[in-house]
Amino acid sequence: MNPESTAVVTSALPLAPILTPLGLGLLLLLPMRRRWRVSLALASALLTLIFSLLLMNSTMGGMLVSELGGWKAPFGIVMAADRLGSFMSVLAALCGVFTVWLMAAQPDPVRERHHSFALTSFLFVGVQLSFLTGDLFNLFVAFEVMLVASYALTVLGSTREQLREGFRYIVMNLSASALLVVACGLAYGTLGTLNFAHLAQRSAALGPNTTVTAVGVLLLIVFAAKGALFPLGFWLPGTYPAVPHATGAFFGAVLTKVGLYALIRVFTTVFNQDPQLPDTLLLLLGAVTMLYGALGAVSQREWRRILSFTVVGSVGYLAYGLGLGSPDALRASLAYLAVSVVVTLAMFLIAAVAERASGTRLVRARGFIEFLPLLAACFLLCALTVAGLPPSAGFVVKFDLIRAGLEGGTALAYVATASALLSSLITLYALLRVWSGFFWGRHPQDEPVRRVRWPERLPAYLASALVAALTLFAGPLLGHARGTADELGSNASYILGVLGEGPLDLPPPPRGDEVQEPEDAP
Amino acid sequence: METLFAILIGLLVAAGVFLMLSRTIVRVVLGLTFIAYGVNLAILTVAGLRQDSPPLLTLEGPYVDPLPQALVLTAIVIGFGTTALLLTVALRAYQVAGHDDVAAFGDNLARDPDAPDGQHADPEHLSPDLPEMDHAAETAAHLAELERLRRITR
Repeated sequence: MNPESTAVVTSALPLAPILTPLGLGLLLLLPMRRRWRVSLALASALLTLIFSLLLMNSTMGGMLVSELGGWKAPFGIVMAADRLGSFMSVLAALCGVFTVWLMAAQPDPVRERHHSFALTSFLFVGVQLSFLTGDLFNLFVAFEVMLVASYALTVLGSTREQLREGFRYIVMNLSASALLVVACGLAYGTLGTLNFAHLAQRSAALGPNTTVTAVGVLLLIVFAAKGALFPLGFWLPGTYPAVPHATGAFFGAVLTKVGLYALIRVFTTVFNQDPQLPDTLLLLLGAVTMLYGALGAVSQREWRRILSFTVVGSVGYLAYGLGLGSPDALRASLAYLAVSVVVTLAMFLIAAVAERASGTRLVRARGFIEFLPLLAACFLLCALTVAGLPPSAGFVVKFDLIRAGLEGGTALAYVATASALLSSLITLYALLRVWSGFFWGRHPQDEPVRRVRWPERLPAYLASALVAALTLFAGPLLGHARGTADELGSNASYILGVLGEGPLDLPPPPRGDEVQEPEDAP
Repeated sequence: METLFAILIGLLVAAGVFLMLSRTIVRVVLGLTFIAYGVNLAILTVAGLRQDSPPLLTLEGPYVDPLPQALVLTAIVIGFGTTALLLTVALRAYQVAGHDDVAAFGDNLARDPDAPDGQHADPEHLSPDLPEMDHAAETAAHLAELERLRRITR
């Protein structure tokens, strides 16, 4: 759609998916019976999902902007929901429902006494806030809300493994957050604003500028660390298997994608003046990350470690699609993002059932197709989706991605495409090894099989059904991704939506060497 | 003034990185706080440092830009919270292991002097989140369960 036809609405709806888990999460801190706590957490997750769906429905025709405290856009904090933000919000809310369900199905008295439900709710707040904020510094705050909740969930329970992985995770992310603050400061020092739309407007007015490019690359490093791109993603494969199943499923499905969302937002909406350096870096890092993820998955023998490495691989594909820079590649990346979130969720839920059934984290149990035939079918579907083989949505989106890569034309794009194809093959090998190790063959008589209750199994089946639904509705998904990519292709509608029509009467950005006179004293 | 601040920030971050490379957990935490301080000063410097300009509109101008000070305040509060959490993790590690070396975490790279042999880098260890598997006591029950499941699925 063209930016002229988009209508901009000021509404409180972008606040709803943030305030719902925040308010109900605070309620969850009160002492209450487990049944009430579970119902409240489930209600909170479902309400968030409903609000997100409403938000996505309303952003089809244009942006929704919510000005906090009634302050006009560049002066106050705005929540700005465009198609990309609301789509991510829906995906995260969906994963949230499954997470709370699995938490409810696997009672854990110790962690629940220390408020794991409330912390999960606060994690949702941070994630939703990062998708819907329209302000760079507010993005930092949202990341911190999300990360503090995830730090606490990572170390809650205090097993030695959790402490080790949690400490590494916290130190890594705190260092990255310090860099994010520096990038905010540099952006403000150069452009005199932190609002996304205003940053975009001013950097466009400034033209290609080395400081702005430096800010962009600094942000790229930060989001690469949060999204686990190759050299900075070493913390991921250890951390996600260390936490409980439900939390791990949400971490794996959503947390890295928040970093990727921030990359998309920054390099399409905000700093799209000088895409050469960030695109090259993203292509390069993406190409290496894919291979790293695939080879890492082959090297592991535990369920969730293998899956964590496939998460790393999917981040690599997204960086590759983003680095190609063409509208087709952006569309393919957005569709891949949706498929990747859902299939990762399904895989982690399947792993939860498999680990509970076999009583070990290793995948060598053998013969479980006999006891859990439906789970085996679900796993096969998800494995095909992750690897990108034909009867799955993974094939459609990966085909789209590879085609965009071949149209890229540069030597680096070809190398990255070759890496994408090769790592798909290696990922397939890794996942089929899981298949032959866990499901195939004959179960040894002396190894015990545990019965997994249906509330624990059902989320895995439902998430796999969602993967199947994505396969059936790959057309509408790609159509929606096309619309989103078109909207991101030009940031004019975003700027118009947040800053309004009239020219802004603002003081010039401070350069530091002049004494500035106040122009708009109240 | 800005030059002085630049040097100060550089020194703080250098000290922070040096401390972070240490094996002692508390030093890592201190290193992170040093870096956070350096970063906060960097934001403050962004607005330009002047001694004679108040950030408030009720006083006589010229004014200094107040927004970076608000940002620093937010960053300090967030840094306070995360440091407290990190210290809690460090304390817990100390309680678990009795010393504050990174080996307290049972890292594969660093042997924990207090742990007996055979507890490191063991891929077959059971997570506390999984049910306890006492083979000797439970095998019979499991075999019965196994047979039952086989009958059901056939």
